[in-house]
Amino acid sequence: MMSEHSPTRTEPDRVHRTLEALRMIVTVWRPYYGRLGFGLLLSALALLSGFALMWNAGASVSALALGAGTSFGLLRVFGGARIVLRYAERLFAHDAMFRALAALRVWFFRRLAQGAAAGLGFRRAGDLLNRLVGDVELLDNLYLRIAVPFLAALISLPVLVIVAGLADWRLGLALGGLFLAAACLLPLLSALRSSGLSHTVLHAESALRVAALDLATGLREARAFSGELRLAGRIIEDETRLHEAQLQRNRAMAVSGALSYLCGQTALVILLLAMAGLGGLNLPLLSGVGLVFLTGTVFEGVSALARTGVLAGQVGLAARRITETSGERMDESGEGQCRPPETGDIVFNDVTFRWAAPDPVPGEDMVEGADRMAIARPPVLDRLDLTIHAGDHVALIGPSGVGKSSLAALLLKVAQPESGEISFGGHDIRTLDTAQLRGRIGWLSQTTHLFADTIRNNLTLGRGNIAEDRLWDVLEQAEIAEVVQELPDGLDSWVGEGGTRLSGGQGRRIALARTLLLDAPVMLLDEPATGLDSATERAFLHTLNRVMRGRTVILIAHRLTGAEKLDRAWRLEAGRTVPLPL
Amino acid sequence: MSAVDKKLVRNWVRQQSGPAKRAALPAVLLACVGTILAIGQAWCLAAIIDRVARDRAAPSLSPIGIFAVLSLFRAGCMIVQEQAAARAGIRARARLRRSVLDSVIGIGPALLRRQHSGEIAALLVDRIEVLDGYFARWLPASMSWVLLPCLSLAAIFWFNPRAALILAVCGALVPVAQAVFGIGAALASRNQFLAMVRLQSRFLDRIRGIATIVLANADGREAEALSRAADELRRRTMKILRVAFLSSAAIDIAMVVAIILIVLTQGHFLHRHETSGISVHATPDFTATLFALLLVPEFFAPLRGLALAYQDRAHAAGAAEAMHALEHGGDEGIVDGAGMAEAIGPVTVEGDAISYRWREDLPFVFEALDFTVAPGDILVVDGASGAGKSTLIELLLGFIHPVSGRILFNGRDTRAMRGREIARYLAWIGQRPVLFAGTLRENLLFARPDADDEALDAAVRAAAIDSFLPLLPKGLDTEIGEGGFGLSGGQAQRVAIARAFLKDAPLLLLDEPTAHLDPDTERDIIESLACLAEGRTVVLSSHSPAMRALGTQTLSLSHGAVTGGHP
Repeated sequence: MMSEHSPTRTEPDRVHRTLEALRMIVTVWRPYYGRLGFGLLLSALALLSGFALMWNAGASVSALALGAGTSFGLLRVFGGARIVLRYAERLFAHDAMFRALAALRVWFFRRLAQGAAAGLGFRRAGDLLNRLVGDVELLDNLYLRIAVPFLAALISLPVLVIVAGLADWRLGLALGGLFLAAACLLPLLSALRSSGLSHTVLHAESALRVAALDLATGLREARAFSGELRLAGRIIEDETRLHEAQLQRNRAMAVSGALSYLCGQTALVILLLAMAGLGGLNLPLLSGVGLVFLTGTVFEGVSALARTGVLAGQVGLAARRITETSGERMDESGEGQCRPPETGDIVFNDVTFRWAAPDPVPGEDMVEGADRMAIARPPVLDRLDLTIHAGDHVALIGPSGVGKSSLAALLLKVAQPESGEISFGGHDIRTLDTAQLRGRIGWLSQTTHLFADTIRNNLTLGRGNIAEDRLWDVLEQAEIAEVVQELPDGLDSWVGEGGTRLSGGQGRRIALARTLLLDAPVMLLDEPATGLDSATERAFLHTLNRVMRGRTVILIAHRLTGAEKLDRAWRLEAGRTVPLPL
Repeated sequence: MSAVDKKLVRNWVRQQSGPAKRAALPAVLLACVGTILAIGQAWCLAAIIDRVARDRAAPSLSPIGIFAVLSLFRAGCMIVQEQAAARAGIRARARLRRSVLDSVIGIGPALLRRQHSGEIAALLVDRIEVLDGYFARWLPASMSWVLLPCLSLAAIFWFNPRAALILAVCGALVPVAQAVFGIGAALASRNQFLAMVRLQSRFLDRIRGIATIVLANADGREAEALSRAADELRRRTMKILRVAFLSSAAIDIAMVVAIILIVLTQGHFLHRHETSGISVHATPDFTATLFALLLVPEFFAPLRGLALAYQDRAHAAGAAEAMHALEHGGDEGIVDGAGMAEAIGPVTVEGDAISYRWREDLPFVFEALDFTVAPGDILVVDGASGAGKSTLIELLLGFIHPVSGRILFNGRDTRAMRGREIARYLAWIGQRPVLFAGTLRENLLFARPDADDEALDAAVRAAAIDSFLPLLPKGLDTEIGEGGFGLSGGQAQRVAIARAFLKDAPLLLLDEPTAHLDPDTERDIIESLACLAEGRTVVLSSHSPAMRALGTQTLSLSHGAVTGGHP
């Protein structure tokens, strides 16, 4: 069911786009360059003191063995320095990384908000958004697990080459070459080799998720049709596939790690041979032992890099998805400056619209989820004409997928029509200021999100200048004030994730109160009561009737319950409106 | 976390670790082999250097050869060990997933009353996958962190008891220091825990609700709030990390102190020999000292590994709490009863003084319901919203059992039957049928996998699926469900009807099957349903007058009485 990974994009292109994405992310970090750099510096110093400690330990013991005198003071200095520097490095690097990540999150949020995100929200691509958040979290690895070890490698290389080269330049070359292989070549190779593996793992994971969701939502069907075993069997099948892919990736990591280890051991063997005077090399004992200790430490320092290479593929993919998804920008031609009138007729004139067929998950070759059918969509609105008079209560009815929500998206300027014109109070909405237009139109839908926050913050959405009375007033209108009053913390009660501490009906009423707080002359109700049980739905619609008096109301629903008070209604069919008798 | 929760977590962890520890055993054994090889390598190195130092002569090549061979073996051992650890993690996760699947299926549809389907799916996938670190890294590390250093220590003791003593003392101080700092970190984190969880989830939450934010013109304010929250999160996290890093610094300190002490004390040793006139070059202690020094990193490596894997352990706590919700009430596993395939004859359904309430402290939904539905009868369940129509259907489905009274299928009490056996008697069509990811054909055959093409065609015709089949790009083989071609509500309902036709069960339960359809579609669906109902025992609940017109008798839930004839 999932299409196999098909290499539709060439490898160099992918690498190029990954680098471009990484460059963009590093640019976001600009204000933190100082801190990030200081973290890197500390980590370098910690590393060097570690080298000095091991080298010194080896050299001291050998010196003693040779009967030469030596000072132990240095040893203590390096030891102490190493401990202190390691601790400081960890603190600083983590602090810097958290700051950089915070900046990245805010940047991502802003870009998403300015771009096509609202459209994504309309298309209920919740899963896609979840995945993007996961991607942002994956970027944690970029600094601590990739940048810091890579810098360590950059510093270790000259140290190793110079120390060995002082004894014999050929030795320096040999060790340097081996080190480059372990620190650069192997990670690069494993990154290239495993980028396909990362894809396989990702696909297997999403297949498993779909199978699990099928069982969870279909528990009733499963019992009624004795299909539990088959659904469970599919989960186990997908799980096996995922685990096989993980095992393969793990093998790639293990092999890379082992090869990197072998590079270090080869360097040691070369040192030993040199000490034995073989191959024309002649290594004095003292520097020989010091080098043995140093080499061990240096190669151990980069042993993680080879494994990280496997991870790099994933991080790169995440970076691509983040920069490219959040980069989808709205058509700027629709950005006007005019102030919209207080209220007025809403007219759709000859409007044609289709959802674009985007690559919803840039960087992935497979189109997944609800967006798969977005490809080559027919127009949802086809030369549609519709006039809604100011103050009227109207309804648009039709089965899901006929474009009712597209109408809402167009009116809110979340999407742009392919052709035709939409006007509000006689002004083409393209000429109107988007923020102010949205201030005129209150939007309430079943996808209206309740945030994991207090009721107060859910109502105000960050506006601090709203009087308490006004909040209670809208709660009263939404007929939820009593419930809120009875909560232990009143307005400051915490609404759980997705509003889970409230019942479905209560949550919808809080969302209604939030919409009422905007005091918009036009109300766009997109399936406002869907998903509630029928009794709650009825009660909620009655409340809506009461509070909507005196406003223009556009109700979008797949059916009428009879509880609505309407002036007009249309059925949406094949992209056009058909008047419905009331 | 409260004391009760902690106990729960501990119990769960203990229960999980038994088999998982057995699975991790190969990885631990291979780690032991690796350590032994490392000891051999260190010995070779020390011996070679010693020979160069003592004789000032070229060492023979054989120890170098042995060293190289040992290195090769060690590399191989590393690969196999990592694979073994990964396999252990996979086995443990697979086992856990099967047991969760068992519980989910055992509890069955009743689970959906308690938990959102998204949560259940997350429990089945993410909550288990995140435990990989626990099973593949933490368990082997926690099993070997004493054993492996002891191996190195024993080897060092054999050649260099003094150095072994120093290492033993330094090593023993690590857990002590870690315990002290670890407790500090735990204390710090407990105070911060709730605040941190809220801050962490804030980002995900705001991204999910981004449409709401943008349409309310709140994106600027929200971005600032997000930035403040991230800053707060950073400050709190750093507070914990400051203490937590001390515990890893403890390893650094112990290691550095051990190295310095070994060099210093063994240095004295050598000096004394020197002053007493014995040739330094002949002393065997140089080899022993080098050997000990070379093994110091090996000695501390398992401790470091444990510290690194420590965070993986925390995931177990989260999983334990989530899985705890499933502990109670799984009465049916994934065992399939034999003889489920044979057909069942007509059935008469009787309700005998059925009462139900959802919880002890809630009022009864209905009390002492009596009714009888014979084959060919259609019982319309009547009542206002919330009067318990859906509850009655769920009772008949066997998803829940009456608090008192009996439900009889052909005189047999359903309480004595297993859920799956009850399911054999009936077909059910709810408000919104679930379409599974897969082709339309697979979705239909879900009701009867062994149905032949003829039966499938008949069901497709009877449910009028053939009316929209030409619209689908690949006919019956079009992918529908999650991620597939979107079917409309009416089309989905037709799939449910076709499933019922295919199953051909004597009892048909209809729970507001047209609740979410527009009038035209409803008319068509009712036609198909009437055809399906023919000759079967039917119980139906609906608000739609057209739907109710099908009934032959009515059960009024508000009165608890059956009235005959058309409602």
